[in-house]
Amino acid sequence: MDFDESSTTKIVTREFLAIVLAGFGNELLPLTTNHGDEPCPKALLPIANKPMLEYPLAWLEQSGITDVLLVCPTPQRSAISNYIQSEVSSTYPSLRIDLQTFEESQDMASGTCSILRHFSSRIQSDFIILPCDFVPPPSLTLSQLLNKFRTESTYDGAIATACFYEVSKPDKGTVTEDWGMLPTNLPIVFDERSGTLLHIDTPDDVDNNNKEFELRMSLLSQYPRTKLSANFRDSHVYVCRRTVLDALQAKHHFESLKEEFIPWLCKPQYQRTRREKYGNILSPVTNNLSQALALKHSTLHLPARKQRLRRSAVGSDDDEHLRSVVPSPVEQDDEEATEPSLRVGLIAHRASSGFASRANNLHAYLELNRFFLGQTTYVLPSDAETRSLIDPKAQISSDSMVGRSTRVEERASIKRSVIGKHCVIGKMAKVVGCVLLDHCVVADGAKLDGCILGAYTKVGAKAELSRCVTQPGYEVGEGETARNEKLETSDWTARDTSESQESDEESDDASEDSSE
Amino acid sequence: MAPGPMLDVHPPAGPPNGEPSTGQQKSQKAMTKAERRELQEKQRAAKAAKAAANGAPGKPSGKPKDQGAPQGGAAKPKPSRASDAQARPTLPAATRATEKAKAGQASMAVDTAAKGTQARGLLIFSHFGLPKPVSAAKGDIHPAIARLALQFSTFKITGANARCIATLTAFKTIIQDYVTPPNHTLSRHLMTYLSPQISHLVAARPMSVTMGNAIRQLKLDISGTDFDLPEQDAKDALCRKIDTYIRERIIIADQVIQETASNKIKDGDVILTYARSSVVEKVLLEAHASGRNFSVIVVDSRPMLEGKRLVAVLSEAGIQCTYLLLPALGAVMSEVSTVFVGAHSIHTNGAVYSRAGTALVAMMAKRHSVPVVVCCETYKFSESIQLDSFTKNELGQSLSAYSLLPSD
Repeated sequence: MDFDESSTTKIVTREFLAIVLAGFGNELLPLTTNHGDEPCPKALLPIANKPMLEYPLAWLEQSGITDVLLVCPTPQRSAISNYIQSEVSSTYPSLRIDLQTFEESQDMASGTCSILRHFSSRIQSDFIILPCDFVPPPSLTLSQLLNKFRTESTYDGAIATACFYEVSKPDKGTVTEDWGMLPTNLPIVFDERSGTLLHIDTPDDVDNNNKEFELRMSLLSQYPRTKLSANFRDSHVYVCRRTVLDALQAKHHFESLKEEFIPWLCKPQYQRTRREKYGNILSPVTNNLSQALALKHSTLHLPARKQRLRRSAVGSDDDEHLRSVVPSPVEQDDEEATEPSLRVGLIAHRASSGFASRANNLHAYLELNRFFLGQTTYVLPSDAETRSLIDPKAQISSDSMVGRSTRVEERASIKRSVIGKHCVIGKMAKVVGCVLLDHCVVADGAKLDGCILGAYTKVGAKAELSRCVTQPGYEVGEGETARNEKLETSDWTARDTSESQESDEESDDASEDSSE
Repeated sequence: MAPGPMLDVHPPAGPPNGEPSTGQQKSQKAMTKAERRELQEKQRAAKAAKAAANGAPGKPSGKPKDQGAPQGGAAKPKPSRASDAQARPTLPAATRATEKAKAGQASMAVDTAAKGTQARGLLIFSHFGLPKPVSAAKGDIHPAIARLALQFSTFKITGANARCIATLTAFKTIIQDYVTPPNHTLSRHLMTYLSPQISHLVAARPMSVTMGNAIRQLKLDISGTDFDLPEQDAKDALCRKIDTYIRERIIIADQVIQETASNKIKDGDVILTYARSSVVEKVLLEAHASGRNFSVIVVDSRPMLEGKRLVAVLSEAGIQCTYLLLPALGAVMSEVSTVFVGAHSIHTNGAVYSRAGTALVAMMAKRHSVPVVVCCETYKFSESIQLDSFTKNELGQSLSAYSLLPSD
């Protein structure tokens, strides 16, 4: 006989599949342009010296999700795969990450809807969509979002839950207009008491009618006390039922989740025609056993008003609901089923509860780094080897972060900055309020103020850069000055010479690798 | 029955430990009511601080201890109170006291009071503890059970019948998803698989008697499963037994109760009911459907306010309803012809265990010689006896004023 103790078979069905979408990061150009042949994936750009992807992954692990489907463009596959195998498997052992690629080019990025349609065969359960660039606040756990979804989808047939976070307006002086426009917030209409998302004003709506804000009367009759706010930004975290994918398949022309599909998904809950058209898809008759009988007996449950009125009227035909094909214990109760509400839940995270942001543009990227600087204090590294690289006469302020194996020479001054790994900061260099990615070299006497330097950037001696963003591998000549610019190498043949050209602001056609 | 222990609601006015050294030693009469109350709070707080200090020496240094503390607390300015990581939202009495008190002293003492009682603010309920937050699912909790636990802890599924049906339905899902591991038999392993799921439900909200009885029956059925049956047949048989249990012992029992109890309602009756019982609701709807003409008085109580939903359901059906809260009961009892109440369970000695406040309704009815009818299915009978009050209660969520509006 076989007394095998190790037979702990996984009996529990998977509840959620997390889908993390990693894109090209076109808003973060030039940081995400290719460094020669190697791509710099947006998902691996460091925030406070941790790759951006680590934040959503940590968030997932904290809430107990184990299955992750990571979707990235094909060129980035090897970089991300290396990262996952080397770092993630050791720090987050419970996550099982399935990396899948999606064919798209940087210029013609396909929409998030097409990606989801492409992978819908891999998604069998309820799923969570996350962007790779969302940094959640510590006070908001993914479990809160999931619990809200779990409660509501069982209780009244909700179909999805979204998360919006409040942004405070930045001060005028800190925003560098040349880095790109700040993203504008989409106004949303939501019901605060029940946490329901009712309406998102899309750019299409604005195009159709930019003078008036159009709302359905049925929305207001169902939810008379709503709030309209333009302070919230979409975190792009959506927890959805599996049936939402079926609805997505039905809508071929939608490209963007955030701007087209989710606003559309908010409509069936109050719009009668859409409910009739899509109610079957969003809340179909299933084999799963529902809690309908229990809810009927629950003392705090009230069926929807329409349903109660309908019950008193004889001879009306009922819509299906959380109905089961499996016969319930009592046959005749099937007719008195309640209609699903098809609600989209909302968690509106206030700025006062914690800082949250998506790092999808340069301003937010810098702001997030600054935020994390405020959280920690700098201490000199403890291991002797790294310690020896930092000169005792260098001045590193306590609100900075210096990565591993970075050499800081004497009299260098680092304030309020994040320095990546393997960098070299020369003598008398002044780095204030900057973010330096890995492998940067700042020569002696250079002054950097409020810049973001891509990986492998070389800044020549005595150069002065103020509020610039450089492409990976860019070389700033000696004594050059630049303010408020995006420095890109427009011509790769110029890499052979030590001088490189500064590009104008109008043309963004960088990183065309001429030597294939 | 011997009287219960004396409940010490107000701390004795003995030698107060936390007496501020600079406080005016007015006589009790000279102080205003607010100041007297404030003094009481301080005394209670100091006493709690002493008890807490003895019980938990490892607390952070922000907590004052014993007699020397309030003097030391005077030196600490108000910001230290705000920065104390354990500071809980203060009680209204406490905030009143802080406004009137001298700088840091009384605020530290009151803060200790808030931490010391750490509950609803009533000493009489302090042995209940706080409602537990639902912990993240440990181990392999089936998603259906995780969702059900959330429904319980957020009070979406409430009521003895509803919880039992919900639990059994979730167990049906689990049984269907269950796969017997090799070298195990279903009849023995399934129970060990279900136990952590049941514990998770109990952690969300204490188990009801109905759930307990149903689970006991389920365990009996599982252990009685035929060894030779193929797995799917065994699972189907169990699901059928669960269905039969629900149908026979709840649904059909309810129908029998409906018929019997609605015969006790005559034309022109005024029926009084308390909170919302699923059985009583069915009885009233059945009586109305069979053509009797009566009106209903619904008595409701906080924090759950279930009676509101009962009024909504009954009015939609066309029954004339009156709604009032429990304190107003005496005003209407003289007009009532019958009282119908539901039950959570019936103890072995015949005592009825029901929503908190039912005893009050029953006693008031007896005083006015109004007959009380208890509608209870037999599967709710429990083998326990309760000798004292305030032993098995749960504390509900405290509602804000805005949630008093009717919600769907």
